Amino acid sequence: MAQDPAATLKRLLWRTLARADAVCNRLYGWRYNPLYHSGALVVALFLVLLVTGIYLLFFYRLGAPYDSVAHLTAQPSLGRWIRGLHRYASDAAVIAVALHALRLFAQGRSWGPRALAWVTGVLLFGAVLVCGWTGFVMVWDVQAQVLAQEGARLLDVVPIFSEPISRAFVGERPMPGAFFFLNLFAHIALPIGLGLIVWLHVSRVARPKLLPPRGLLWGSSIALLALSIVWPVTMGPPADLFRLPGPAPYDVFYAFWLPLTRALPVGAAWAAIVAVTLLLLLVPLWTRPRAAHRPLPSVVDEQLCSGCEQCFLDCPYDAITMTPRPAATAAAGRSALVARVDPALCVSCGICAGSCAPMGVGPPGRTGRDQLGAARAFAAARTLASSDVVVIACDRGAAALAHAGASSGVHVWPVSCAGNLHTSVIELFLRAGTGGVLVASCPPRDCWNREGPQWLEQRVYHDREAELQERVDRRRVRIVAAAAAEAEVLLTAIARFRQDIAALAAVPGERDVTDLIRLCEAEEAMR
Amino acid sequence: MTRRVLGILLLAVAGVSLAILSEAPYAATPPNRALIRLSWRAYSEQVQACRRLTPEELERLPIHMRQEEVCERTILPYRLLVSIDGTAVTNILVRSGGAREDRPLYVFHELPVAPGPHRLTIRFEREGEGETRDAAEPIPEREARETPPRLALDEVVVLGDRAVIVVTYDEEQRRLHVLAGREAGS
Ligand code: HEM
Ligand code: SF4
Ligand code: SF4
Repeated sequence: MAQDPAATLKRLLWRTLARADAVCNRLYGWRYNPLYHSGALVVALFLVLLVTGIYLLFFYRLGAPYDSVAHLTAQPSLGRWIRGLHRYASDAAVIAVALHALRLFAQGRSWGPRALAWVTGVLLFGAVLVCGWTGFVMVWDVQAQVLAQEGARLLDVVPIFSEPISRAFVGERPMPGAFFFLNLFAHIALPIGLGLIVWLHVSRVARPKLLPPRGLLWGSSIALLALSIVWPVTMGPPADLFRLPGPAPYDVFYAFWLPLTRALPVGAAWAAIVAVTLLLLLVPLWTRPRAAHRPLPSVVDEQLCSGCEQCFLDCPYDAITMTPRPAATAAAGRSALVARVDPALCVSCGICAGSCAPMGVGPPGRTGRDQLGAARAFAAARTLASSDVVVIACDRGAAALAHAGASSGVHVWPVSCAGNLHTSVIELFLRAGTGGVLVASCPPRDCWNREGPQWLEQRVYHDREAELQERVDRRRVRIVAAAAAEAEVLLTAIARFRQDIAALAAVPGERDVTDLIRLCEAEEAMR
Repeated sequence: MTRRVLGILLLAVAGVSLAILSEAPYAATPPNRALIRLSWRAYSEQVQACRRLTPEELERLPIHMRQEEVCERTILPYRLLVSIDGTAVTNILVRSGGAREDRPLYVFHELPVAPGPHRLTIRFEREGEGETRDAAEPIPEREARETPPRLALDEVVVLGDRAVIVVTYDEEQRRLHVLAGREAGS
């Protein structure tokens, strides 16, 4: 079978990112791993930019842009620190946006119902770069001059202005104050537009996490402030329209494209810009799996649905609504409402399968019922001893590692997302005689389906609807967060769990688990 | 403990890399280059060409728009001829700006040269002069507003390394002239 280049690229990227994740988890813990919060970090950095930008605005003079920034930079403390923080935060924002986009691309979260987020994300990236362009032009040093002149060269082929914009930058007349005013206006107006696009960007996810955890928010701001103190930002020589720009400092994050477009004739530069933009905008099309491999949206079995609304509450993509029950399934004692999945919004994450106590919803083949059936077959095919553990491992993360490290007495049962897991599967394995069940999920903020581990934890320990039954001995159940490249974390957790289980008195297995489904149903009926 | 130290170390490395990449040295133009930049605005002569519509053409127009004669105003182009050290380097027709070509003519043209002295010869001449003028406008007013039909410059210019000189049109003195860094300021 021919290798799909997009899939190969994705796999390579994912492998690299997973390694970086493992390093950051080790050093900062998964709660504060910045790679897990790249999108939210961009929003946090915007806030830093807003606050520092307001301060800088008091010092900027349209009539003497270079001198006013130079004056600020020469201040021994606050002025230059805040200018540094503003600069470094904008640089960090580009890195965070790029990491955020690469991560979602590598995880294949770029098509279908996520296409809107992807396309608005590309627009956001473009707007961030243009906003940075106006910011650097404000300084009016050599870098600003080159950015302005190159921007004008590119814009002059677009037939919107009758007078070439390039004529503003020839020195024939002094630089008009109106230019700096317009530029400043754009620099302030663009972030407002950006805010609107962010709103659209997250409009299809439920409960978007717009800010990173407080520790990371403050930590990153303080780290950038410290950087601006120990490594103050400088300025290039002032712009001189009567000199070809010589060596000067350039910001790679916002001016990376200069050497590329300057080397090209203006038509070719535009062709390259349009090609790259199209390539990015069309990612939702070229990363979409072929129809046969596309995961199917969730389906509700209205006969089973009891109208409890839990899937509606848990769906991380707001794809479920509660609607009046159709006449076909109406009967005395049945709920007035049933859940309905909008296939255009459903990403097939499977979280609803774990939400539904009566097992009435989920993507085909992955509902609670399907899980129980598969788990029963799994248990029947082997002997589960009281010293054994079943490791229920998320396919995206730990499953591969668990398989690699599986030794005798460790049975790996993969699940498409830990958040998909119906808790009765845990009970089934324990009743079948295993000493303990370890659920290996991805670290919560790394969940490809956004909220899987969070709901799982609440179902197992905090009685969230579709909870693990009270009768289940919690000492024999454990959840561990292990990222895709964290073999050691997982293997250590398995070893420790087995030790703890060995210390518990051995319980004889029931072996007969066929009554479990009946039991679940009976309990549901009693509610 | 070591984990915390390593964490801070990684953060420091990331910070320093960020700062370095934030101010990376780059020369947008290599040395031993200089540039002659031509940049001015010209108001050319506006001409009006009128013709009678054929009966068929009239037929196709809505009744309220039927006029026997239609007139089109156009602005005459200029030809720009440049030679450097006796070699012709530019020969272009400059049309008026704007999507409907009803704006002034704008010249913006860059000529890279080696640093040193160069003999620069420029001719900027109106093309198609003497066709149907817009008779409604009195001639002196029009001429005061219009750029002369012929402009020329013939000068030896000396450019230092990375120097830029600008040739522009002085609207008061009605001639082309050369601006260099110090006298013009930026
Ligand atoms: C200014 C830049 C950006 C900001 C502030 C931003 C912020 C966010 C936030 C806060 C989320 C919700 C995360 C969550 O709660 O799970 C999100 C999701 C998303 N972002 Fe961005 N983003 C930006 C740029 C981008 C770019 C450049 C792309 C890709 C080209 C992108 C693609 C996505 C996608 C596909 C999702 C949906 C994830 C999912 O459905 O699982 N974003 N973004
Ligand atoms: S699979 Fe279920 S939880 Fe996931 S998006 Fe679809 S409806 Fe929502
Ligand atoms: S969780 Fe199940 S029972 Fe509850 S509303 Fe959803 S489909 Fe119906």
